[in-house]
Amino acid sequence: MPLLDLKGITKEYKLGKTIVRALRGLDLNIEEGEIIAIMGPSGSGKSTLMHILGALDTPTGGTAILDGQDLQQLKERQLVTLRGKRIGFVFQTFNLIQTLSAQQNVELPMIFQGIRKGERARRAKELLSKVGLADRVRHRPNELSGGERQRVAIARALANDPEIILADEPTGNLDSESGAPILALLKKLSTDDGRTVIIVTHDPDATAIADRIVRLRDGCVVEEVRNA
Amino acid sequence: MLKDFFLLAARSITHRKMRSWLTVIGVFIGITAVVALISIGLGLERTIEEQVAKVFGVDTFMIMHEDTFGPQRHGGDPDEFTLDLAFLRSIDGVKVAAAVRERTGFIQGPPGNDGVSTQGFLPVMGLSPEMRTEFESFFGTLEVQAGGRLFGEGEELVAILGDEVVERLHASVGDTLVIAGDTDAELSFTIVGVLAPSEEDESDGGGFSGGMGPSQDTIYIPFETMDLLWGPAEDVLITLVRTEPGKDVDEVADRAEKALKARGSEVTAVTYTDITDTIGTMTSTISAFLAGIAGISLLVGGVGVMNTMFTSVLERTKEIGVMKAVGAKNSHVLTIFLIESGLMGLVGGIVGTLFGLGLSAVASSFIGRFFNVDLIVVASPTLIIITLLGSFFLGAFAGLWPARRAAKLPVVDALRYE
Repeated sequence: MPLLDLKGITKEYKLGKTIVRALRGLDLNIEEGEIIAIMGPSGSGKSTLMHILGALDTPTGGTAILDGQDLQQLKERQLVTLRGKRIGFVFQTFNLIQTLSAQQNVELPMIFQGIRKGERARRAKELLSKVGLADRVRHRPNELSGGERQRVAIARALANDPEIILADEPTGNLDSESGAPILALLKKLSTDDGRTVIIVTHDPDATAIADRIVRLRDGCVVEEVRNA
Repeated sequence: MLKDFFLLAARSITHRKMRSWLTVIGVFIGITAVVALISIGLGLERTIEEQVAKVFGVDTFMIMHEDTFGPQRHGGDPDEFTLDLAFLRSIDGVKVAAAVRERTGFIQGPPGNDGVSTQGFLPVMGLSPEMRTEFESFFGTLEVQAGGRLFGEGEELVAILGDEVVERLHASVGDTLVIAGDTDAELSFTIVGVLAPSEEDESDGGGFSGGMGPSQDTIYIPFETMDLLWGPAEDVLITLVRTEPGKDVDEVADRAEKALKARGSEVTAVTYTDITDTIGTMTSTISAFLAGIAGISLLVGGVGVMNTMFTSVLERTKEIGVMKAVGAKNSHVLTIFLIESGLMGLVGGIVGTLFGLGLSAVASSFIGRFFNVDLIVVASPTLIIITLLGSFFLGAFAGLWPARRAAKLPVVDALRYE
C-alpha cells in the first residue's frame, strides 16, 4: 500500500467572482522512503498539491489517503497533529523566525508538541550538528547565509522526527553552490533515514537526486519518469 | 509550554522596541493617574482616621440629636432631647460623660470705681469639668492665667472669663458678675480665672472641636449650673462618653442610645467606627470617581495596545503560517498573542505603578503643606497587586480581537502572505 495515495484530486479556489481550478482530477501514489521531484510550469498546481500533501489544505474533490487515513475525514485538530508529528516542511524563503536563534527555531515545532526544554535543546543541537551547523546554534537567521538558513529550516523540519519531508523549492533562493549541499542533505534523509522526501522544484539538479520525477500541467500529472 | 510562550512573546516585544515602548507609554500614563489618585485617596482616608482616633479616641462615642451629624446647637425646641448627664453616667460601661452647652446670657459685670457696672449680652458656655480633663484633645486646652484657677467637680457659681470679656467688663479674678438666663433667676458668679492666651486663639479656636474650644469672648461656667439659668439641657452642643477599659465601645454606645431613647430623647450614639466609616465611604466614593475619570486614559492605552497588536499580526502573518505549519494549534497562536499584549500591559502597569506611587508621594507632600497636615502616603500591596494583574488583563483584553484574528488565519493563506 502506498504511503500517500491521491485519486481524482480537484481543488478549486474563488478569486473574486472567478473560480480557479488549480487541480483537475490528479492521481498520484507515493511510496514510503521515496524521493519525488514534482516539476511543472507556474500555475500547474505544484504548490496546491504540496499543501494538500502536507495537510495544510483539503481538496475540493477526490480522495487523499495518507497511511490509510482519509485526509478529508480528519478534523482540524487531527490535521494539526499530523502536521506537527508526521510531516516536516522546508520552504523556498526558509521562513525562519527572525527573533529566534537557529537552535530556538529548531525547537519551535517541539514546543508545540509539549517536549521538555532539556530534551528539546539536546535534539535541536543534534539536528543542527547533523546539517553541519553545530557552531551556529546561537546565531540568528540574519547572521546566517542563505544556504545555512535553509539547513536550519531542514533541521527544524526534522524536529519531531517526521516520516515525510515536503520541500517547496528548497534551492529556489540559493545559488548552485549553496543549493548542492541542500539537495545532498535531502537525499540523505531518504537514503540514511528512510524518510519520504517530496520536492517541488524548478531546479534540474533536484531531479538528479529524485527516484521519480512527476511533471504537472494544468492541474494534472502529465508525465512520470523513474530515475535509473 | 506556557513558559515558552511567554519567552516567544517577550522576544517579539523586545524585537520591536520602539513600537512596544510607545504602546507601553499609553498604558503607563493611565495606570499612573489611577494609582496616584487611589493612593492619595487612601492616604487621605488613613490620615483622617488617624486624626479622628487621636482627637476622639477609639474608646469614645458622641451622643447627638437624631438625624444630625456633627456638633450643632439644638435651639431649645421642645422636641429636642434633654440631656441628663447623671443618668448617662449610670449606664453600664460608661466611665466618663461630659457635655458642652452654650447660650447667650445677659451679663452684669462688677461695679467699677464709679459704682457703675458694664452690662451686655455675651456667650456663656456650660462645661463639664471632664471635658477639659478627659477630652482635652477634643475640646482643646483650657488654661488660666497666673493668679486664677479652673473650676472642678461639684462647684456651681464659679466662672472663668475669656480675656476679651475681662476687658469689656473691667473684671478681675475674685470679682463677682451676674448672669441672667431665660428663667427668672439671676445668679452671681465668682470669677475664679481668666483664660490664658493660646495659639489657637490666633487661628480658628481649636482644631477638631469646630470652634468649641476655648474662646476669649466667652464666659465659662459649670455645665450643671446652666440648668439654673436656662432650664434642662435642650441645647447641648456635644456630649462625649468614654467607656470603661475593656468594654466594647459599640455595645456601650448602643446601650446608651437605647436607654436615652427609652426616656424620650431623640438621640443617636456615634462611635469612632461610625465616623471613620462615613469618612471612608466619602473618600472612597471621591477616589473611585476620580479614578474612573483617570480610567478613560487607560481605555486609550488599551486601544493603543489593540492597534499595535493588529499591526503585529499583519506583519507576522507569514510567521503565524509557519507556526501552524510546524504544528501550532489555533489556541497556541491565540495564547502567544494574548501573552504578548498582556505583557505590554503589565510593563505599562509596573512603570505606571512606580510613577503613580511617586506622584502620590509628591502630591501628598504638596497637599499636606497646603492644609498643614502630615498626609500619609499609602503604597498598599493590595492596590499594587490589583493594578499589576489588572494591567496585564487590560493588555490581554485589548489584544483579544487581534489575537483571535491571528489564531483563525487559514494556514495556507498565511504562508502565501507577502
